[in-house]
Amino acid sequence: MAEPALQLVSLTKRFGAATVVDAIDLAVAPGEFVTLLGPSGCGKTTTLNMVAGFLAPDGGAIRLQGKPVESLPPFRRDLGLVFQDYALFPHMSVAENVGFGLRMRRVPRAEIARRVSDALALVQLVGLGERRPLQLSGGQRQRVALARALVIQPAMLLLDEPLSNLDLKLREEMRVEISMLQRRLGIATIFVTHDQGEALTMSDRIAVMRAGRIEQIGTPSEIYERPATRFVAGFIGTANLIEAADGAAVIRPERLHLASQAPSGVRSWQVQIEHVAYIGPRLELRLRAADGTRLMAELVNDGTAHWSAGDAAVAWCRGEDAWVIPDGPAPREAVKELQVTSSA
Amino acid sequence: MRTMPWLSLKMVVAAVYVFMLGPILITASVAFNATERSYFPPRGFSLQWWEAAFGPQWMQPLVFSLQLASLTAVISAAAGIPLAFAFQRYEFPGKAIVRAITLGPLILPTLVTGIALLQFLSLIGLGRWMGFWALLIGHVVICLPFSVRTIAVSLQAMPGNLEPAAASLGATPFAVLRHVTLPLIAPGTMAGMIFAFVHSFDDVNLSLFIARPGERPLTVAILGFLDFGFAPTLAAVSILSMLIPLALVALFGRLVGIGDFLYQETGHG
Repeated sequence: MAEPALQLVSLTKRFGAATVVDAIDLAVAPGEFVTLLGPSGCGKTTTLNMVAGFLAPDGGAIRLQGKPVESLPPFRRDLGLVFQDYALFPHMSVAENVGFGLRMRRVPRAEIARRVSDALALVQLVGLGERRPLQLSGGQRQRVALARALVIQPAMLLLDEPLSNLDLKLREEMRVEISMLQRRLGIATIFVTHDQGEALTMSDRIAVMRAGRIEQIGTPSEIYERPATRFVAGFIGTANLIEAADGAAVIRPERLHLASQAPSGVRSWQVQIEHVAYIGPRLELRLRAADGTRLMAELVNDGTAHWSAGDAAVAWCRGEDAWVIPDGPAPREAVKELQVTSSA
Repeated sequence: MRTMPWLSLKMVVAAVYVFMLGPILITASVAFNATERSYFPPRGFSLQWWEAAFGPQWMQPLVFSLQLASLTAVISAAAGIPLAFAFQRYEFPGKAIVRAITLGPLILPTLVTGIALLQFLSLIGLGRWMGFWALLIGHVVICLPFSVRTIAVSLQAMPGNLEPAAASLGATPFAVLRHVTLPLIAPGTMAGMIFAFVHSFDDVNLSLFIARPGERPLTVAILGFLDFGFAPTLAAVSILSMLIPLALVALFGRLVGIGDFLYQETGHG
């Protein structure tokens, strides 16, 4: 197997009494897009800052293409970073911004000019090289930041919530664009976000973080369809959690169906429809089971759904669509989360 | 209901302008008197006092003042940058004390600073430094707070991720300073230099104690000449000494937006 582009071994960071990153292990394969996903304070940005070299770890190792880099300063790590606020240099033109890394590497002037114009073409900003960052729209600034990080041909790309300052429509466009660019260049990437939609659509693998630990790591479908913990189930998408003797069954709303009578061989519940939200392509129904459990069902608005609030119905799902999370020991995490919040 | 407060406010503003501009305009017109004494309104018209103002008697202290103020501005900026960094970015033992000492002259009467410096230099046996070098030390002491504050405001206003971004692109700490930090705090540094220049050029309180014959700034020369009464020459010299800092502020103020630093508040610095 090829050497991982990045390997974190038992990486740890403490701020005072709080352990913000707690002995995490992670390997990013060459060309792989890995997302660190989690709520604020989960340690994802701290992890990124340690990889980038802005924070010194309190323990563990960081290996870039096999070489330990914990003791290297940021300017020796050969990483391309894109910041949430883009961090473009306001006193330089777009071309100077993009060329900055090459200038620092003492690349000849003519080659800088050529590579900068290639990079601007890559992010579809041809002809904007002479502009100042302040004259650009949010989406354009984002592209400049991306071009600036990529033009140095870094060993790895680090993206710190790069889409959160964009409006919704642009955000969705940029998701696709960054993904396509990343796959085309085949550059190993770590993407930090709290947005599960971004994580699911862009990643090869997602590491869901909570209280300084990786709660689960897997492909988007593994994370969504086979969550390892209740936290992962609840954080990614909407989940119906049905308590059972051996743990909790997770049923995604789109896997829950409604009928007046349950088909045979499925799990089913007698429910009362409490509310029907009309979304357009879908209908979101709030249900209450006989034992008081609240459920969500999502139906495709294909013209056959005729439910309204107050109706009695049977909610059912196939046995394999109810994913059972085994009850594991969880109190340690709970304690840590308290520490993190109290120190904030 | 609304007219009364507005009317009184307008009157206050008008009074401020009258008392601010009136003396200047009167002084300016007095300088055109054809007589030996300062009359208002001027009697006759003559440029002889302006000619005198540009003579060696006044040019010597004027040039002295300009040299002193320029050097003070440069040193204040050069010392102000590291001090502003220290106050804005770092925690170190005794920080509060160092800051109080640096910014202290801002609230200490300059007269007191002048007397203290005079005694200090005599006591440590550097009395022979009186004149230009002692004046330079004193002026840097009283002008430094201005440059430290404006540079600190610039540093504070700089987006926090720019320096890490530069570092991630391969810039060494020195390259970050040279290509990112210093260019971005240049407006604050320029503003600080202008404040320092003007403050030094206008100072009389401190200079009074430390100047010596032949090494006198313009303000002290004007004060000395007052012994002979308020001659029209003095009016011309005063206007001249007012126009220089004014022109400087008008010229560079446009370039660096000096107003941002006059009116902006900084929590630290």
